[in-house]
Amino acid sequence: MLALLSNLAVIGFIDWRTNDDAVSTVRRQVLEQGKVLADVYRTGGKAALDDAVEDTMTYADPQTAIALLSSDRSELRGNVVSVPAAVFADPTGTHGYRNALIRLRGQTTPREAALVVQRLPNGQWLLSGRIAGEALTIRETLERSLFIALVLAGLLGLLCGVILAHYVGQRIGDIARVANRITARDLSQRVPVSRAGDAFDRLGGQINAMLDRISTLMEELRLLTDSLAHDLRSPVSRLRSAAQAAAEANDPEEQEEMLGSVIRQADSLMRILTAVLEISRSEALTGRKQFTWFDVGELAAELAEMYDPLVEERGAALEFDRPPRPVPLFGHRQLLAQAVSNLVENAIRYGSKGGEISVRVKPGERQIRIEVGDHGPGIPPERLPEARRRFGRLDSSRSDEGAGLGLALAEAIAHLHEGQLMLEDNQPGLLTALQLPVYSQQARAA
Amino acid sequence: MGRKILLIEDDRETAGYLAKGLNQEGHSVEQATNGQDGLFRATDGSFDLIILDRMLPVLDGLSVLKALRAAHIDTPVLILSALASVGDRIEGLECGSDDYLVKPFSFAELLARVNALLRRREARIDPSDHRLTVGDLEIDPLSRSVKRAGKKLDLKPREYLLLEYFARNEGRVVTRTMLLEQVWDYHFDPGTNVIDVHVSRLRRKLDEGFEKPLLHTVRGAGYMLAA
Repeated sequence: MLALLSNLAVIGFIDWRTNDDAVSTVRRQVLEQGKVLADVYRTGGKAALDDAVEDTMTYADPQTAIALLSSDRSELRGNVVSVPAAVFADPTGTHGYRNALIRLRGQTTPREAALVVQRLPNGQWLLSGRIAGEALTIRETLERSLFIALVLAGLLGLLCGVILAHYVGQRIGDIARVANRITARDLSQRVPVSRAGDAFDRLGGQINAMLDRISTLMEELRLLTDSLAHDLRSPVSRLRSAAQAAAEANDPEEQEEMLGSVIRQADSLMRILTAVLEISRSEALTGRKQFTWFDVGELAAELAEMYDPLVEERGAALEFDRPPRPVPLFGHRQLLAQAVSNLVENAIRYGSKGGEISVRVKPGERQIRIEVGDHGPGIPPERLPEARRRFGRLDSSRSDEGAGLGLALAEAIAHLHEGQLMLEDNQPGLLTALQLPVYSQQARAA
Repeated sequence: MGRKILLIEDDRETAGYLAKGLNQEGHSVEQATNGQDGLFRATDGSFDLIILDRMLPVLDGLSVLKALRAAHIDTPVLILSALASVGDRIEGLECGSDDYLVKPFSFAELLARVNALLRRREARIDPSDHRLTVGDLEIDPLSRSVKRAGKKLDLKPREYLLLEYFARNEGRVVTRTMLLEQVWDYHFDPGTNVIDVHVSRLRRKLDEGFEKPLLHTVRGAGYMLAA
């Protein structure tokens, strides 16, 4: 439709321009000719004008019209055979320009001409002009071809429209069908992507990437729910047996001890629930408004200082070298503090028997790494990918519930900063690292 | 030393339990069950402390808090909330609350914080000598020097901050979460006994070699510095 309209506009413009050009050229020529003849009469008198008329008839091209009429318009000299009387009506001064149908000598039909009609001082009428037919013919041809072009353009436009509508409809239909199947709970569906690499393929690719991400999140959520159910089951049953023991205890001292245990178990449950809540909130990318610039080196130093006595008490040593220069990062200081502390606590829990726990900040051009390494049992390389997927379920014998959630929360916090939590081999032991990009943070802050 | 406390909490069970406990401590408690009513009562400014639930019918807790602060009523506010994430806690504090307590909490924890807030108000009204003394312990916050029985104690910066916080809350229970929030400015719950280790180190420097201990453990609640 739009193409048709623009075609029309172009054609209309061409038509108007040619029409205008042709007509104005003829008009200029005719006015010029009239003026020349009037000048001839003024300087040379009637005889000169007669000669000029004679010359024009003889030498000028056959499109030229010239006539000298007596005042009653009966006597005639020139090549004009018939002139409509209307031409002489309303003689507007000496250069009356008008269009009229006239017939020249040797021609059978009257043709459109541009004329200048002048009344000479002696009462005679001087009529000069040109048959405008030439320009008009060009215009007619042009108009005809333009009309054909228009019809063709219209037809082509319609055809293209139909084809395009069909094509677009089909491609969108594909996407809609996938969307429908997904609504009907089959998340494994994907939009077919052709090899054309057009806008639809790009859209399809985007949608598929989005679906992949949703699937991953769903899978992570499912795993999280599973591990949560598992992690909650043991403290809840311990809570229950402690409460029962407290209820059955006869000795007040024993009862108090049991009630203390009830409270501890409840607190532990609370911590797990809080961690899960934090994970889901971080993954929903809330809390970005609390991002600020801060020195990662200082944060790590603070946490190292905080955990140093605890590590020492567990018979290990905490090693930390603060980077010589500040390491600026735009992020959520509190959440990152929590993430790093989770990594350190994880290292203390599983790796402190290995003697040394290291905390390092590695500033880089593209990314900042905050590493926590231990020399504990670590995770066998072949099980690292599994551990990365979800942290909860790795050590089935472990008694310290909710520990896996600590790493999951650290990962969620890394995601909030568009970074990653890496699990690597510390040779021996486990190296956990928050890998946070620098560029996007700079861009966002700028 | 009974004080007037306004309790804005829609959960009747929690409100009743809190009011009973605070009454037993000698405070008089007035209750409101929705945000609008709570705001109305709070605007007369006659309370020493407001305990404000975050999720309230009609007008939510943070809106009540903002309205109060906009009206220049600077009664200390302790927020209670089931929203436990770090972001939520910070948001609550940034809205002008003086403290933030996550549900569920022990009554001991609440009482410790209530007393700390009431004490802070007292201190604001009555600015005394900048030197802090607890028994034979002397702390000079300006030079950050600590003496016990005239003998200078050599404390690390963090140990000093811990001790100063304890001293400012002399005779009151201070919980582990309060220490983590006030001394370290971290708002998460650590999964380990990291705070206890710091306190026991401080205790070693503070009490070792002296007959009478100053830093006491309060079972099920936290610690207390008292002569």
